[in-house]
Amino acid sequence: MSITTKALYVIISVIVATIYGLALNGVVRKIYARVHGRFGPPVWQPFIDIIKTHGNNVAISHGIMYYLGPVFRLAGGLGTYLFIPVIFGSVVFSNFSLAGDLLLVMYFIFFGQLGMALGAGEGGHPYSPIGIARGLAQMTTFEVPFALSVIALAIQYNTLNITTIVAAQQGSILNWTLFTNPLAVVAAMISLLGMNMHSPFSIVLAPQEIPIGPPIEMNSSFLATLQTNRGLFGAAKLVLFMNLYFGGAAHANIFVALLIMILKTFIIYMFSVFVGAAYPRFRPEQSMRFFLKWPTLIGIASILFVAYF
Amino acid sequence: MVNPIYILILSLVIGFLLTIIDKAGRKLSLFFLYGVLSFNVAVMFIWFYQFAFVGRASLMIHTAGFIAPISINLKLGLLEAFVLLLANLAGLMSAMFLFKKLKETHISGLILYLVLIMGVNGLVMTRDLFNMFVFIEILSISTYALISIDENKRSFSAGFKYMIAGGITSTFFLLGIIFIYYFTGNLNLDTVLGNSSMLAMKTGVFSIFLLIVSIFIELKPFPANGWALDVYQAVNSGITSVIAVVNSAAILFVFYKILPLLPDQYLMVFVGAGIVTFLFSNLIGIKQTDPKRLLGYSSIAQMGLVVAAISYTTKLNISQDLVFIMAGGIFINHFLAKAGLFWITGIIKRSEIKDWGILRNNTPLLLLFGVLLFALAGLPPFPGFWAKWEMAKIFVSNNLYVGLAAVLIGSLFEAFYLFRWFGYAIKNERKEESLKPVDFSQLFPVAVFVLITLLTSVWIMIRVYAFDLINFLPVAAVFGMYLLNFLKAKLKAVLAIIVVILYGYSIYPLETALQSLFGIIFVIGSGIMIITTMNRKGKISGFYGFLLMMILSMGNLIIAKSFLSFFLNWEFMTIAAYLLILRGKKGQVPALTFITFSLAGAYLMLAGFGFMPNVLSSNAIINTIGSIEIPLAAMILLLLGFLIKSASFGLHIWIPGAYAEAEDDVTPFFASIFSKTGIFGLLLVAISFIKHSSEFNPFYWLGWLGAISAIVGAFLATFQEDVKKLMAYSSMSQLGYIIASVSLLSHLGWISALYLTLNHFMFKAMIFVAIAGVIHRTGTRQMYKMGGLIKKMPISYITVLIGIIAVSGVPPLSGFGSKWLLYSSMLEKGWYLQAGVFFFASGVSFLYLYRMIHTIFLGQLKYEHQNVKEAPIYFLIPQVIFIMGIMAISMFPNLIIKPLNSIVGNYFASTIMIDGYNVTSSLGHWNGNMVMMVTMGVFIVPLVFLILFNGRTQKVKQFNIVFAAERPESPQTTHFAHNMFSHYYKALGGLTKPRIQNFWNSVSEWSNAIAGLFRQIYTGNGQTYLLHILLYIVVLYIFLGV
Amino acid sequence: MIFSLILGFILLIIGLYGMLTQKNLIKIVIGFSIVDTGTHIIIVSIGYLRGKTAPIIDNAVDLANAAKQVVDPIPSALVLTAIVIGLAVTALMLSFIIKLYHKNRSLSISDYQELKW
Repeated sequence: MSITTKALYVIISVIVATIYGLALNGVVRKIYARVHGRFGPPVWQPFIDIIKTHGNNVAISHGIMYYLGPVFRLAGGLGTYLFIPVIFGSVVFSNFSLAGDLLLVMYFIFFGQLGMALGAGEGGHPYSPIGIARGLAQMTTFEVPFALSVIALAIQYNTLNITTIVAAQQGSILNWTLFTNPLAVVAAMISLLGMNMHSPFSIVLAPQEIPIGPPIEMNSSFLATLQTNRGLFGAAKLVLFMNLYFGGAAHANIFVALLIMILKTFIIYMFSVFVGAAYPRFRPEQSMRFFLKWPTLIGIASILFVAYF
Repeated sequence: MVNPIYILILSLVIGFLLTIIDKAGRKLSLFFLYGVLSFNVAVMFIWFYQFAFVGRASLMIHTAGFIAPISINLKLGLLEAFVLLLANLAGLMSAMFLFKKLKETHISGLILYLVLIMGVNGLVMTRDLFNMFVFIEILSISTYALISIDENKRSFSAGFKYMIAGGITSTFFLLGIIFIYYFTGNLNLDTVLGNSSMLAMKTGVFSIFLLIVSIFIELKPFPANGWALDVYQAVNSGITSVIAVVNSAAILFVFYKILPLLPDQYLMVFVGAGIVTFLFSNLIGIKQTDPKRLLGYSSIAQMGLVVAAISYTTKLNISQDLVFIMAGGIFINHFLAKAGLFWITGIIKRSEIKDWGILRNNTPLLLLFGVLLFALAGLPPFPGFWAKWEMAKIFVSNNLYVGLAAVLIGSLFEAFYLFRWFGYAIKNERKEESLKPVDFSQLFPVAVFVLITLLTSVWIMIRVYAFDLINFLPVAAVFGMYLLNFLKAKLKAVLAIIVVILYGYSIYPLETALQSLFGIIFVIGSGIMIITTMNRKGKISGFYGFLLMMILSMGNLIIAKSFLSFFLNWEFMTIAAYLLILRGKKGQVPALTFITFSLAGAYLMLAGFGFMPNVLSSNAIINTIGSIEIPLAAMILLLLGFLIKSASFGLHIWIPGAYAEAEDDVTPFFASIFSKTGIFGLLLVAISFIKHSSEFNPFYWLGWLGAISAIVGAFLATFQEDVKKLMAYSSMSQLGYIIASVSLLSHLGWISALYLTLNHFMFKAMIFVAIAGVIHRTGTRQMYKMGGLIKKMPISYITVLIGIIAVSGVPPLSGFGSKWLLYSSMLEKGWYLQAGVFFFASGVSFLYLYRMIHTIFLGQLKYEHQNVKEAPIYFLIPQVIFIMGIMAISMFPNLIIKPLNSIVGNYFASTIMIDGYNVTSSLGHWNGNMVMMVTMGVFIVPLVFLILFNGRTQKVKQFNIVFAAERPESPQTTHFAHNMFSHYYKALGGLTKPRIQNFWNSVSEWSNAIAGLFRQIYTGNGQTYLLHILLYIVVLYIFLGV
Repeated sequence: MIFSLILGFILLIIGLYGMLTQKNLIKIVIGFSIVDTGTHIIIVSIGYLRGKTAPIIDNAVDLANAAKQVVDPIPSALVLTAIVIGLAVTALMLSFIIKLYHKNRSLSISDYQELKW
């Protein structure tokens, strides 16, 4: 494959994912609004927001690291997405999954978070590091059940290659990890709640006490970059979960496959949304403890289940 | 050849004449005194030379015109000559030390001194039992009288207690003699020995027991030794030193002479009593703060050890050389060091070890003190070290494990109180009052003994163990740098780099790539790091010598050809590290903790090496170890020793203090280079294990230990305010990764271990150097006092940034490679839960890394740091070098993966495939180069986009933030830094309790409490002491079980 | 012989008892002297042979059978030395006591315990 074709495929893949991710965010805002009894913004509100913030004339910058923060963040989103094969068997949507396996994806998630944290830090606003400190601390805890669940997967499929994992789930719905290893899926889905930072784990952004958290100092194009990433990165995470636990998206027809992808990820996301809409927020130490208790035990159980039974 | 009997005659004649001679003036009497003492030394020297090097047979001297057993006869052989040479030399030197005293005191002092020395000579040479009694009494009475040379209450009361104890013991001695005479009809030792069957019945053994035990009591066994301690503490240092070494040597020799009388099966009682004495005296020593009494405890302990060694080897059929190295080594070590140290206490005259900071006013004396103290602590290259080495071997080969353990624990106590004293001397507040200039007459004896100590050490290294010259280098470096002390620091640094380069060149090429890898870390890494130290100003004496010592001994570890050479250099390295830590401003306590833990580790290793066969090979031990099967016990002991160095969980509490309080430009050496020696040791053991695996796999548990270290280290790091402590705990955590991956004992695991090692070496070095620069500029280690330094110190920031990305394992930098290898290898091996713990630990590492970089470089710049500049160039050079290293292996992972693959290929069959930049394991794949390219791509695209389509970027000042439309009050209140992860702390709850710290604290408290309890037996009452003696004899007799 | 041997041991024990129980320094020294004396008696009694004469070559001893007629001379010789030595030690002890008394005006051993532990 020539480098230009690959570049083209990558661009297509990224654009699709970004648009989907943003639209998904719009839908979710709508759902939340309805749950709260409001009318809510239109579904395309995220697009409007991006265009609007990007159109600002002046961008306030606190320094080079600050400037690079959003770049890191978006690069992290892009990279995470690009190291995941989106559609099973599709050349266009295989991205750069040849560069590494599941471990690479898991660690590349940190790339954007770390860069963003540093950029926000240079802003000098105390709320940014407060949000980051909470976010990181919470991250260390929800990573535990997720990691355990991934280990269970690695034992089950004897590989860390995402494509191979998806391949192993083909054939019947009963081949999905959801059914072959439900404990691992439960653990991972609980940690997904933390990853998506919806309530009850939304202490990182906590609109009431530290308005919007780490990005507090971000403005104009910087904010637009972050908003773009929110769409893309959200989509990437969901795709990863779909691949690992819900059989991935596979169909001979690429558009059908995309539809499957959209359907599955939407449902996965709705899990977070429903929980978020229904539950109040945890305090930081509550949320951290939460992940280290039952989800972790479930994760360990999933490993023991796979390894020894 | 002068007949040694003239020593006795001359001493007596001159002794009698001195009263008359003194009428002609004290100078003349002193002349005669020193004349006779020198004569003694000369005679003994000649005889010693004759016996040792000419091979002359022992000399028998008959008196009164009859041959023995009718008359008293004397014997002078090699051993006698050796002991008497030392004793007479110490006598002469002590007399020299007492020059001023002897000049003023009554003439009887000189006479008594002369008679004392004569008594010693007679005691050692005589072969007649009753004559022994007479000489003991001559010796004792002259000693009693000399004790009162300083006419003060303390010495009189101590002397009185001594007389009671001595009087009673010599009564028992006399009784023993008379009963032996009764049973054998003879008093000649040789004849009695020949007829020892006549003593086989109970009463016969009892009489021998009386004889030996009374001599043993004179050697001050625990607990029947209170009188001796009081004497050591109270009496004039010159005399004390005679009592402690000369008298003891003579009595010890008597013990040695009469010991064969005792049937073999009873010897173990004395071995036991000696070891108990050694252990308990040293234990009680840790509570002692008076230097002379401290040395007293040490003396008693050492004599106990010699007694044990002699009693034990008497019945063993082992080569005389080994006995000499073991018993003689302890003896000569004690002899030289103790005499010298007692003299120094006489010069310093401070009765609290806390006040010894004054010693620093006199550098030569400080050096002498240091040498003697290190010798006494049994560190290499001094004789005590070799003695313990052989002792471990002998004890282990005879299954005397409890004895060995007691000896090693006792040694640890001893080292602890000696180094505490040393720490006070080096670090404690220097008193304003200056030390009075030291008389040459007082300095000279000390210097002579130090010289003899050193010569003996060199002699042992060359003649006994035939060491290569390269093993001397670490010590030679210290002396060399000491001679060049007048040079400026920069020049010395350049010189040190040259030495390191030359050293590297001289050991190159190494036999295997594994060695080369560690060579890169130990030698080349150190060479680069020395650049940092060039920022220092002035002469900084006593720094580069020890630094070189550490570097060269680490290098020697790689090429060590025998276990002994390995252990020798290991100890050299520890000593150097200890001294470097001690240099830090508040280094005293951390250095003590460090050396205590390190020596504990060293003793464990010593015991472990005791199990190992001797290796005679021309190849380095790391290459030959595969062919050696290490017994399980040895393996566990060695592993524990190495784990202490690599700060594994439970043994880590020395690490924060040592790293934090060492000077800022020294810490990188510790964190990035020194810590790898433990890993090297683990590999050493592991290589043997994989070739000779056993049923029980200690490495499985080591894997868990590594995992726990990783997570606990990360937790601890997260809650530190002190940046160096934070990084120290981070090291602990990272070393946990390495320990675990070594323990995997698989191909991928070891690639991972070596990759982690190399990676940790680079990132830890660059972070610590950058941090050193920051501390240098800001003058604080508390992170919350910094902030916003990115604008002032951008290069340091970049270094730290790259460093933390490499630590955390975020792609695309080299850290991810290590994580990928680690998890892949763990999953491959089936260590699932361990892998889970590592996932958690690596998540937690984000917390402390972010905390570090944020609170130092981001957030709000403090007013006092407005004028801070970038770190000096010498700090930046190593940083840039290591950045290039990290970037190179990140871009082109093959640079490192391929060599590692081939290194590990020597031990395991390869389980990975390398195709271009694509590495495939049984579980997954990773293409580092592609990851790097993609990352650069996804980074550049948004960046370019932002630059092109961004609105007008306006830079704003520090406080221009969206702060509820208010201006923040001050950087201090706006900078979110202090106690950053309080919520996490709360969430972790019980996991954050410093349990291990508490555990070791209570170990220390309990030791102190027990020591305090035991020393209560020394009530200071002469009658109690007498009771101790009587009870001791009874108890020992019961133990004898006749 | 046996009586004097037992007497010697009794003296020895009495002396030790005195040394252990008496607080007065001088009494302790007296105890020591008793121990000494006991020892000397033991030594002499070991050399004693019933019905034999002193080991001095004079009219009472037949020169040819001297060895069978006299007691063992060696213990007697030894005891002389031991007595001298005992005397020296006792004298030295007493002189120390005098010095101590000058320094501290006390003869009780309990007053000389400052060096301990």
